[in-house]
Amino acid sequence: MNKKLLLWITVTGILTILAIDDIVEDWSTIDGSFEKIYIFFTQDLFPPDWSILSSEPNIKCNSEIGFFCSQAWKGISETLQMAFIATVLGFVISLPIASLAANNLYPLPIAMAARVFLAGLRSLPSIIWALIFTIAIGFGPFPGVLAMTLYSIGYLGKLQYEAIEGIANEPLEASMAMGLTKSERFLFVVIPESSNNLISQLLFMFEYNVRHGTVLGLVGAGGIGQYIDTNLKFFVYDKAMAFLIVIFVVVVIIDILSMVIRSYVTDESDFKRPKWWTVLLPSDAAMKIHRRNLEE
Amino acid sequence: MDEVTVWDGLTAGLEPIIQLRSLNIGYGKSLAKDITAEIYTGDRIAIIGPSGVGKTTLLRTIAGLIAPLSGEINNNCSGRGDIGYIPQKLGLVRHSSAKSNVMLGARTRKSRFHLPFLGLGEGLNKEVDQLLQKLGISEISDEPVRILSGGQQRRVAIARALIQKPKLIVADEFLGELDADNIDSIIDILETQLSEINATLVMVEHQENIARSIATRIWRIVDNQIIEERVE
Repeated sequence: MNKKLLLWITVTGILTILAIDDIVEDWSTIDGSFEKIYIFFTQDLFPPDWSILSSEPNIKCNSEIGFFCSQAWKGISETLQMAFIATVLGFVISLPIASLAANNLYPLPIAMAARVFLAGLRSLPSIIWALIFTIAIGFGPFPGVLAMTLYSIGYLGKLQYEAIEGIANEPLEASMAMGLTKSERFLFVVIPESSNNLISQLLFMFEYNVRHGTVLGLVGAGGIGQYIDTNLKFFVYDKAMAFLIVIFVVVVIIDILSMVIRSYVTDESDFKRPKWWTVLLPSDAAMKIHRRNLEE
Repeated sequence: MDEVTVWDGLTAGLEPIIQLRSLNIGYGKSLAKDITAEIYTGDRIAIIGPSGVGKTTLLRTIAGLIAPLSGEINNNCSGRGDIGYIPQKLGLVRHSSAKSNVMLGARTRKSRFHLPFLGLGEGLNKEVDQLLQKLGISEISDEPVRILSGGQQRRVAIARALIQKPKLIVADEFLGELDADNIDSIIDILETQLSEINATLVMVEHQENIARSIATRIWRIVDNQIIEERVE
């Protein structure tokens, strides 16, 4: 092995051990921790209490299907709504700010000011924003939506200006020489050129907001997290576990859906599908049919 | 064939659309110096010379994309849509359709205060369709540019410039990598359309035979200077 690399690995390893030793003041506290975790999992968390999927009398509900009047549905649908609103608002607000932050569109002083603004929004995690808004507004999903929106603006804005800076310079130059205005350049050159990335980022942000929306309930900002928080406070761990499994399933479903949608916004797949049913085909197969139709 | 330092059309009573006065061009370091020349309405100018002498830099300076290191440009085509630009890689919006790219050029015919979300009007739409037809690309007008062939993409770029009805079209080696048939056909279309809208053409071309088939004036950059040749 390269001597220099070996030295780096050794130094990093020693520093890591020293840092751990500094943080863990009393190693004896770790004794028996694995057994405690094992007992907690097998006796407190499992089996999960699936009553959260049944109709709950305290929930106002007109549906005849019990599941739609359950705590799980109420919680997860609220979280999904919060994530959806925050992602859409975040996207719409962040896009113009990201255009100001892109140094291929605006001069450095303007770009830097916009970047500092976005970094400011991003520097506080959404849970801290949620805490601030619950203090200001009170408990419920609204402060949660505001918190996620602000964080989404900061996070999406950064991803967006990086995507905008990555577009080819020639279309921008051609439109400048033609005399198009900045807003026309942004709408008709920048957005189409970075559209695949923007859609992909939008889907990622929605996924992220759903996952983080579950945490916001811990500070009273609505969503399924609020049910988890209540159950944890009253040591009803089996119900909390059931909620966690619901979140896991929903996140996996969103992940799969988002993966499928993202596969349609790659360079290889953003062509007009020849027939409606070809959306079900992989992009290269649909493209073959498309080319054959063109040749005919 | 006359070879002069720069042809003086002013004495012939012509009105220049662009005057270059003692231009020194380059990116920090000077590539070509003391360029004094005029571009007149209807000119077909081809800039030729070996690689690295500043052909593209001169073209980009004329298009107003970079400022000269020193010297002066009197530009009578600095208005919206006055210049149609076809860069070497064509500068098309790859994810937009061929027609959307051409509509981008058509947009310059509207005021800069024309709201982006408003349509461009039936007349202009029709004009775009007719131009696409003339250039033989109406069938692929809804396709994203990214999947078109090199020849089709070049036609889209030409259509985008022509629909502007510009005073000047600035083109940088835009016929590169095309086969001879495609080049001939594109040159034919371009010449007809340029005459129709009375536009001027300044182009960089590394293949001299192609340059001669289009140009009426050839600017050869030699030893940091322009040597002009008139093609009859």
